[in-house]
Amino acid sequence: MAEETLLTDDFLRQLINVGEVDILVGLPTHNNAKTIEPVLRAVQAGILKCFPRERVVIINADGGSKDGTPELVTGTSIDDVWRASKVYALRTLHAITTQYALGPEPGTALRMILAAADLLRARACVVLSPDSTAMEPDWLQRLVGPVYSDKFDMVSPIYSRQKFEGVLMRNLLYPMTRAIYGYRIREPYASEFAISGRLATDFVTSEVWNDEWGRSGAEICLTVTAITGKYRVSQSFLGTKTQADRSASDLVAAMRRTVGALFSSLDSNFPLWSTITDSQSVPTLGTQSELAPEPVRVDCERLREMFATGVAQLEPVFRSILSAATLCELQRIANLEISEFNYPADVWAKTVFEFAASYHKSIISRDHIVQALVPLYRGRTLSFLLENSDDHGDDIERSVESLCGEFERLKPYLLEVWADRK
Amino acid sequence: MPLKREAGWYKDAIIYQVHVRAFNDSNGDGIGDFQGLAQKLDYVQELGVNAIWLMPFFPSPLRDDGYDISDYRSVHPNYGTLEDFKTFLLSAHERGIRVIIEMIVNHTSDQHRWFQESRSSPDNPKRDWYVWSDTDTAYRGTRIIFLDTEMSNWAWDPISKSYYWHRFFSHQPDLNYDNPAVCEEMWNVMKFWLELGVDGFRLDAVPYLIEREGTNCENLPETHAIIRELRKKVDDQFPGAMLLAEANQWPADLRPYFGNGDEFHMAFHFPLMPRMYMGLRLEDRKPITEILQQTPEIPASCQWCLFLRNHDELTLEMVTDIERDYMYDIYAQDKIMRLNLGIRRRLAPLLDNDRRRIELMNGMLMSLPGTPVIYYGDEIGMGDNIYLGDRNGVRTPMQWSGGWNGGFSVADPESLYSPPILNPVFGYQTVNVLSQKRNEHSLLSWMRHIIGIRRSTPVFGRGSIEFLFAANHRVLAYVRQLGKETVLVVNNLSSAAQAVELDLRRYKGNILIEMFGKNVFPRVGDLPYLLTVGPYQFFWFRLRHI
Repeated sequence: MAEETLLTDDFLRQLINVGEVDILVGLPTHNNAKTIEPVLRAVQAGILKCFPRERVVIINADGGSKDGTPELVTGTSIDDVWRASKVYALRTLHAITTQYALGPEPGTALRMILAAADLLRARACVVLSPDSTAMEPDWLQRLVGPVYSDKFDMVSPIYSRQKFEGVLMRNLLYPMTRAIYGYRIREPYASEFAISGRLATDFVTSEVWNDEWGRSGAEICLTVTAITGKYRVSQSFLGTKTQADRSASDLVAAMRRTVGALFSSLDSNFPLWSTITDSQSVPTLGTQSELAPEPVRVDCERLREMFATGVAQLEPVFRSILSAATLCELQRIANLEISEFNYPADVWAKTVFEFAASYHKSIISRDHIVQALVPLYRGRTLSFLLENSDDHGDDIERSVESLCGEFERLKPYLLEVWADRK
Repeated sequence: MPLKREAGWYKDAIIYQVHVRAFNDSNGDGIGDFQGLAQKLDYVQELGVNAIWLMPFFPSPLRDDGYDISDYRSVHPNYGTLEDFKTFLLSAHERGIRVIIEMIVNHTSDQHRWFQESRSSPDNPKRDWYVWSDTDTAYRGTRIIFLDTEMSNWAWDPISKSYYWHRFFSHQPDLNYDNPAVCEEMWNVMKFWLELGVDGFRLDAVPYLIEREGTNCENLPETHAIIRELRKKVDDQFPGAMLLAEANQWPADLRPYFGNGDEFHMAFHFPLMPRMYMGLRLEDRKPITEILQQTPEIPASCQWCLFLRNHDELTLEMVTDIERDYMYDIYAQDKIMRLNLGIRRRLAPLLDNDRRRIELMNGMLMSLPGTPVIYYGDEIGMGDNIYLGDRNGVRTPMQWSGGWNGGFSVADPESLYSPPILNPVFGYQTVNVLSQKRNEHSLLSWMRHIIGIRRSTPVFGRGSIEFLFAANHRVLAYVRQLGKETVLVVNNLSSAAQAVELDLRRYKGNILIEMFGKNVFPRVGDLPYLLTVGPYQFFWFRLRHI
């Protein structure tokens, strides 16, 4: 029986027609018909404005949309854009689409996009989120430019966000990645980024795809690969990132994709990260834009209830994951009223590290470990929002920086529990 | 005896553009001449072309290579006599080669007797043969064509103490076509040459004949009226003679020069030419298909004239700014290669002397709708000399052999009108007719072959075109059709081999016969027809239903 192939014959046929490209724009989609058109317009305008001479292809890897998303991608003509912008396209711009049958899997979509970049020998591959309706044409330049012109291997975005957005990134993924791997990459799990053809090829042919967590958390694995492989990494300020409303079940899935993958990466990279004692900044291009604050759209009481309930109901699970001191502290916090609620940074860092160590030892099912972290993360979210209830911009950045400091300071504690925990 | 001028002969023509001065020197004075050209007609005939377009050979101070005429009814002494011209014309016709000559109708030299009389006094009968003004403020909306040398379209004449109008160099005053006497005299000039037997005229700079305030003084209705009048006289008195327009304009602006089949028979397709180079370098058919899709239909009796290079700079007037920047960066990185809005280089150096690309470009030239023009020397891959001024770098002596002066002249090299190309890549020791005639795989031999195939297949000159938009944008494919004859052309613009699937279902049941090797390719069925095409390779397939 023939081995199952990643790329369908039809997709391969389309790639043959495209041929070698300079820049590949990847759009992973699943039922994004409501938002995809402005994204495509911004991409096309960005190509015309910033890369008029380059060979560019837009590749849509779709997870089985039922709302006509792929048809919108292939049907959006660049001619409309150049007529409006009066910037003429020298070249044919291909927009091709392929569907994979397994349902929406970001890892599968990314893998197909990177495999295409490898086959087409793209010098730069940029992946964009189909729901970034605030995308500006300049995003393409800010992401691709450093790769295409300045020989960077990865460009990660920095967004201007409301304080109630990107909380997982600010409270866990960024501080943890920074403390572990020593690079201050603000969005280690990004839905928008650019990478070099070299990194795309290396990553798509790596062993990551043989691991379930690697497949589901491919984006963060890509960042870790870039760091651990000593690729040249930079960041670019993009501007405002609007975030689609997500349900509670989305959080569990997001934790699996991100935290699970990050924890998983610690296993194979221990020799590297265990010797890193501080963090270094990475080249950052552009300037942060100011964002008008919006009212917090979070039900704080609900968060507190979910945290307290989780701590109570999952106590048997926590006894196998957490140290007695940490669990005791969590139980104390769970009894606090919202007016005095505080999940301190050091307790949160220890919590995360103990989860990481338990994950490493597979104390219980790894998936259960990640799920068990969800209610605790909600508690930390509440504490973050309360701490910064009157803060904006720089104040919040100082708060995040302080948290990162705690994670870095407590890294020896991670090494300790990593080795000791049975 | 003139050749019988069948209607539409120009549609089946392949034109060879020659400068008498540059082709062959018979008397050893270092300058090519008509006797020398006549001696080389066997070569022209063997090449396979069936028409010669002669650049200006009239008496002239030669400040613009003959485009500054001082006498319309004679031959410049450098090139021989009128009798020499007649002998050449007869010899060409005996070989079945038609002769098209230049007619510079828009302007004369300032040394022309007409201008000398005109400037002599406001009361002179020839005063109104040119466009005079007391100020230099009229027609402000008119662009300057020779941007590198001219500051204004008006020039001060110290003799008549007034300004005269000129669209080109200031020593080339524009004739005043609002004066019926000018129109009548220009027709008399054309009649003079038609009576000698020439087969047609390339009319130079036709969009600029008339000036009107508040316009850009180009393509005006009054200009078209003058052309229609000339055409009527040609048709009435010299049926079959051909008028070819030099109008460097966008397709939509060019279209009126065909009128209802009552103005020009042919016009150069200027916008297509740079886009062929662009498409080749971009490895993308888009520039070519776009401009041809924007090209309007022309009357059945009319024809486009296509070319890759000519005696002028590779003009970039009919491209957008972004396209022009791209062309400069790709084809003229050294700024000395640039002139006005163009690139003063020959075909082979433009294409890095890459035989595959030279063949592909000639393949497109010969297979796209229109009559192809080959610029002398390009059939052997001659180079240029970018260190010669103006456009002289692409007007160097024809390279006949590896001997003295490349076989062009027996004169001392220092006395040649222009130094021949001497560098080790394109010099006459390396690139010349004699050595290429001895090599059946030379560019010259290949050019003869493709010209022969083109001439044997009327569909190329007269057939319709339909583009096949294969998903692979690096492949430019089209079907040419005339009556029952169908030819499929597939061009790979890429430096890499390409696979392409062509939708040929409407030709189901036909077999494909490759026209160069006569090999049979598989029959067309219901499935997309899969071809693999090598780097810069092209195929011409004749479709046969057997």
